Amino acid sequence: MGLLIRALGIAGLAIIATDAFAQHGAQTTQDDALKSMSMEELMNVEVTLVSKRPERLADAASAIQVITQEDIRRSGASTLPEALRLASNLMVAQFNAHDWAITARGFNGVPLSNNSLADKLLVMIDGRSIYTPLFAGVFWDVQGVVLDDIDRIEVVSGPGGALWGANAVNGVINIVTKSARKTQGLYATAAAGTLLEDMAAVRYGSHVGDSLFYRVYAQRYDGYSSNLPHGGDAKDDWRMTQSGFRMDYQPSDANALTFQGDAYLGSEGGPAGVLVNGQNVLGRWTHTYSVESDVTVQLYIDHTYRNFTIQSLRDAVTTYDLDAQHRFALGERHRLLWGGNIRFARDAVNNVPTFLIVPPRRTLQLFSGFVQDEIGVVPDRVNVTLGTKLEHNTYSGLEIQPSARLAWTLTQRQTVWMAISRAVRAPSRFDADLVAPGLGGLAGNPDFAAEKVVAYELGYRVQPVDNVSVSLATFTNRYTDLRSIDVVGGSSPSSLPFQFANDQRGTSSGVELSTNAQLTPRWRIRGGYTYFEKRLRPTSANVLPVSADVEGNDPRNQLLLQSIMNLPGHTQFDVVTRYVDSLPNYPVPQYVTSDARLGWEHRAFEFSVVGRNLWRRRQQEFGITAIPRSVYGKITVRR
Amino acid sequence: MWARLILSLALLGLVGGGTPSESRAQSAAQQGPVREYQLKAVFVFHFTQFADWLPGAFADPQAPLVIGILGDNPFGSYLDDAVRGEQVNNRPIVVQHYRKLSDVKACHILFIAQSESDHMRQILDDLRGRNILTVSDADGFAAQGGMIQFLTEKNKIRLRINADAAKAADVTISSKLLRSAEIVTSGRE
Repeated sequence: MGLLIRALGIAGLAIIATDAFAQHGAQTTQDDALKSMSMEELMNVEVTLVSKRPERLADAASAIQVITQEDIRRSGASTLPEALRLASNLMVAQFNAHDWAITARGFNGVPLSNNSLADKLLVMIDGRSIYTPLFAGVFWDVQGVVLDDIDRIEVVSGPGGALWGANAVNGVINIVTKSARKTQGLYATAAAGTLLEDMAAVRYGSHVGDSLFYRVYAQRYDGYSSNLPHGGDAKDDWRMTQSGFRMDYQPSDANALTFQGDAYLGSEGGPAGVLVNGQNVLGRWTHTYSVESDVTVQLYIDHTYRNFTIQSLRDAVTTYDLDAQHRFALGERHRLLWGGNIRFARDAVNNVPTFLIVPPRRTLQLFSGFVQDEIGVVPDRVNVTLGTKLEHNTYSGLEIQPSARLAWTLTQRQTVWMAISRAVRAPSRFDADLVAPGLGGLAGNPDFAAEKVVAYELGYRVQPVDNVSVSLATFTNRYTDLRSIDVVGGSSPSSLPFQFANDQRGTSSGVELSTNAQLTPRWRIRGGYTYFEKRLRPTSANVLPVSADVEGNDPRNQLLLQSIMNLPGHTQFDVVTRYVDSLPNYPVPQYVTSDARLGWEHRAFEFSVVGRNLWRRRQQEFGITAIPRSVYGKITVRR
Repeated sequence: MWARLILSLALLGLVGGGTPSESRAQSAAQQGPVREYQLKAVFVFHFTQFADWLPGAFADPQAPLVIGILGDNPFGSYLDDAVRGEQVNNRPIVVQHYRKLSDVKACHILFIAQSESDHMRQILDDLRGRNILTVSDADGFAAQGGMIQFLTEKNKIRLRINADAAKAADVTISSKLLRSAEIVTSGRE
């Protein structure tokens, strides 16, 4: 018996050894074959690409723009919304010291308490959705990402295809942070200034063996108040403390695990007087079968708490989200992607007599499944992507969101794309469950339907010379069942005079032009121009005329130019200039303003001085408060 | 036996159609897929034979030729495999890994990984005047003043060479290598 085991053992070892030898032998002969080739011959060898998605940005059939880490660092941005200004296909306006109105293709609604009503955007940080189920918009003040951790920000204007999650009606913002492998060592930064009071961040990254990498960070931000329109303190100073971690573990080539989390705590002065805190953890596992096939499973739990102290209105939301997707190739021409998502968002609102959400506690459920097929109709030339998403939400039930996209690569440097897609915005707590005597007597509508859009897009991308790329996207969106405020004269269940309904429809259209050009080895410019118009009309006689204005206050023309210049002696000079047309309803005049940065970067150190809003003493962007001209200095060490 | 011989002759382009270089490329592919960085490693190995450095670049006649990798190593063991047992002008070839630029001491060819793209200009600025052949596959590398940039087009590797940058660093690139590449000059591409 013992002998048999030993014999088997030896045979086994022999097999393993032979196999290893054979593999190594094959490798060596292949290497030898390659090494004996001339340069010309080597250039004829075809390789299998390591990257999972060989799709180049230039081939994508959607209006996508990418903000890189360098773009952010050189812009002088100190918070995430400031960095989002660098995407010319977004409409970004600072409302006060800490609150922002951000949308794509319009619908930046009038300010609600201290936020805009913009509710047609899907925003994610590393796959975690950050819009609140309360009103389907984002509380931008609490999204305190360490800007140096960001690898890139992908901004898609237009409906996100089947790929993306819920709420991607007018656009998707996908913030992707660096893997822990890329943030090894120490990073420390500190800044102080006249609007940014002070800011400090420390990050440390290390690893265990060759496969487990991690980082931990902590950050503190103190901001001074913005101004009242004619000067004076707007009393909206704010403080935010945040810390978190990320761990990336790759036990083998086929498996990758990510585990990350953040926690923050903050307070904001001013009439709205807010206390906030939040915590989240996320785990993601990707198993790769081949270059063409993999499975990803992701789970996150996110908790946010907000106390509007003055009114003692409080809202706590806990979200559980499980997501899975599978990618594989079928034959030579089909690339399939399918998956599903389950989300539970439980909230608890502490109501005040003037503003109630009824019932105060509710669990919103979202179930969705999607399938997408990317078909190489003419391989490497014409790609058609067909997909659909089925989504079931607590309020409006089943919603179907199909899309068809076509990308035609004319030459290596030119692509034409077009798309038709349907997307919906599921009702939020605000739409359905509101009872607000304090808002002029406005009630939500339990029968509120999803807002719907059918979007027609046509785009062209060209690289006229190696270092210049230009992208043009045009669109027409047809909306139905848009939110309206109807006069119901006390017939609503809550006997308030006004109630939300779906009695508006409308059309928007526009042009988005963007470019990136390396003019000389030391000078790069990027920027864009956006033209936008929209027309909404009531479909019922009961609609309050102000309804259209409430839904969106959007500029017609917008221009962005970022200049990134390296001067001799490790010096950098960078300028971001933007023009924003006047806002029609809640009048803000048109303006031009610039931020400028002077930096010195050598080895481990970076010093910079940033001047912001340089054209005027103070600038109104959205609503009443004005953002003052300001300056800050910053020092950074990387080791 | 005969069948295999005929097959290998066919693959070598002695029998059958196709240009010799295409057929040989296929023969390499016959032994399994060629990985992107496996091929790039062979290119880097070839660069050792097609470049010349100042006499002072080597401490002594037997000093090794050093290929450095700055940042996250994308080659795995391919580069080590490609240079194992090889010599250039009687010098052994060694591969070294650097986490940051200040670790780069005696080095002749420096491959700068894509992980460093955020700081590429800074790195190239700091390398200015050093007698090192810089290589990378990061976007815009040659335009920013890097010497040899790998481009991947239709699953094939092409080279883009900034000859001015090499000249400024006193690295001589042989005309053989230049012939097979797209030449760009600093500032204009």
